[in-house]
Amino acid sequence: MSILIDENTRLIVQGITGREGQFHTEQMLEYGTKVVAGVTPGKGGQEVLGVPVFNTVREAMEATDANTTIIFVPAKFLKDSIMEAVDAEVPLILTIAEHTPVHDMMLCRRLAHEKGLRLFGPNSFGIISPGKAKAGFMAHKIFSQGPVGFMSRSATNCYETVFMLTNRGIGQSTCIGIGGDMIPGTTFVEALPDFEADPETKAIVMIGEIGGDAEEQAAAYIKEHVTKPVVALIAGKNAPKGTSMGHAGAIVGEDGSGGAEGKEKVLKEAGCYIAESTEHVVDILAEILSK
Amino acid sequence: MKLLEYQAKEIFEKYGLSTPKGTVIDSKEDVAAKIAQAGLSYPVVIKAQVQVGGRGKAGGVKFADSGEEAQSIVDTLLFSDLKGLKVNKLLVVEKADVAKEWYLSILLDRKTNGPVVIFSAAGGMEIEETAKTNPDAIVNVPVNPLTGITAYFVNYVCSKSGVGMEYTKVLGELLTKLYKMFIEHSCMLAEINPVSVTSAGELVAIDGKVTVDDSALYRLPDVLAYRDAIEEPPLVVEARSFRFLYIPVSTGRVAVMSNGSGMLMSMIDLLSKKGVTVACALDLGGGATRDRIKEAVRIELSTPGVDTIFICIFGGITRCDEVADGVRMALENESSDKTVIIRMEGTNKDAGMEIVNSTKGAISVGGIVEGVETVAKVLKGGDAA
Repeated sequence: MSILIDENTRLIVQGITGREGQFHTEQMLEYGTKVVAGVTPGKGGQEVLGVPVFNTVREAMEATDANTTIIFVPAKFLKDSIMEAVDAEVPLILTIAEHTPVHDMMLCRRLAHEKGLRLFGPNSFGIISPGKAKAGFMAHKIFSQGPVGFMSRSATNCYETVFMLTNRGIGQSTCIGIGGDMIPGTTFVEALPDFEADPETKAIVMIGEIGGDAEEQAAAYIKEHVTKPVVALIAGKNAPKGTSMGHAGAIVGEDGSGGAEGKEKVLKEAGCYIAESTEHVVDILAEILSK
Repeated sequence: MKLLEYQAKEIFEKYGLSTPKGTVIDSKEDVAAKIAQAGLSYPVVIKAQVQVGGRGKAGGVKFADSGEEAQSIVDTLLFSDLKGLKVNKLLVVEKADVAKEWYLSILLDRKTNGPVVIFSAAGGMEIEETAKTNPDAIVNVPVNPLTGITAYFVNYVCSKSGVGMEYTKVLGELLTKLYKMFIEHSCMLAEINPVSVTSAGELVAIDGKVTVDDSALYRLPDVLAYRDAIEEPPLVVEARSFRFLYIPVSTGRVAVMSNGSGMLMSMIDLLSKKGVTVACALDLGGGATRDRIKEAVRIELSTPGVDTIFICIFGGITRCDEVADGVRMALENESSDKTVIIRMEGTNKDAGMEIVNSTKGAISVGGIVEGVETVAKVLKGGDAA
């Protein structure tokens, strides 16, 4: 098992004929992901790497048995593309674009959730279940199959940790790019039940950041509902206040709200292991899993 | 992007919100004539257009009863330094007719993942005090982004805040206009404090704070045009021209660089734990070609006091030889006391390492923790010398 993405994933790539869309479709196919359709308005009827292209998501859904879509379009077109996927009722919608207007995501999140659809990202590498399938642009060579579930607001910190973990012979069940924006389609607390229910996942890693209260919400949930060990890393302890640290969501208020110390405190109280660095995450996991 | 007060008010006006009659002054010549030309009557308020907290207490807000008095205030205040920021513009407005002062804002709230309206009948300078002593006097209501501001929403705000149902019409109009602006201008925050309730029962925005989402600036040409008027550190502006994000952090000899914000934060955390203060951070974003790396290194090394850079690049498709070559090119143009410590992972790693090892002033490391140790060692060596 694993969660969200696996050998049963039948993927649509929105924006498949673009440079990024095409390149990463090839990568995903190589990895074994079943890409069943592409969507680019005006390019319907063509094929990209043997994948049929449709003009609209609705047509792709009518013609194939797709159950997931990943959107490779620039941020300024993302809102329309998500709305199209929501209207076509694709159950799982993944977004990756950087610099998406937060108002666009606020609206899309609401629309997707009203219909009971899963929405992830943006500003994310996607989702990978190593050895099974990937939907995203992550460098898949560093991942390996195993018992650790990952969810991360940062791509670079996740890569770094996974790279060291794989080198230590510890694999991953599923890695989710939550994304670094202020309003993600799915927050930590919304992904936790999936990991808790997945028999393959033996430990959960949560790579959080300063800003917002996603980690605090996760802590409250973990305390009541999560039986598996959770290792948490919070980046940005020493970031200057009132300055967004590149990720739009990573900002501590002038009053100290969203700070790392508060997050670590409640996570610790909820029974999580608190890691000081990506390397420390790996050490903690090695110890937990050897028990 | 945080707008200056006069900019926020110009946008308010576009949405039909009333603001005090005023004019912007950016030179010391003929102040009285300019005030007369704008049709303002005395007394007037002269407000420094800088983004500092406690502007009034810092001497950035003055009152004038005559043209001569206004001229002398402008002579001192314009181009002066207010809490470290240069005052390039002054806003001169008529002193408002204030019967009551309210507080109103709309902000994007991360708890509810949507807009929240905050209102209080006790506005003005006391709002922060009210928040502490009488938080119940502040109404905090999430807005459903699919419906926007409705009549029952306004009824709730008026009823709950105790301001009274007689204000549903005027407050409803104000809130609807402000919300329209908030949505159409992709605001993170739109605040009016105070809202003045005039003796005629009209609502006027005495002061305004507006923060617009940087990611939405591409579709807001009116806001983008304001950016030049906002004081920004020159290196931030220069870095932006290369599509880099440059973040001033503190002061010190060390700068950090990466292709991701999460990694930058981790680097700063680990260095701080070692007692090393970081002067600045630079996010390269995607596409680390040698020419871009060279510019990034140059920009960080031109930060006052910085002589050491720690670079962490982790990307499957980033070519390490490109990164190393960029560092080599940059170091060739620098004096010999500069050090660049590099941790990189990706394609052509061996070729990259070879370039690093043959470049004077460049040190390659195997991981982020080793990199932090190396930075600390380099700093010590520098001190000893």
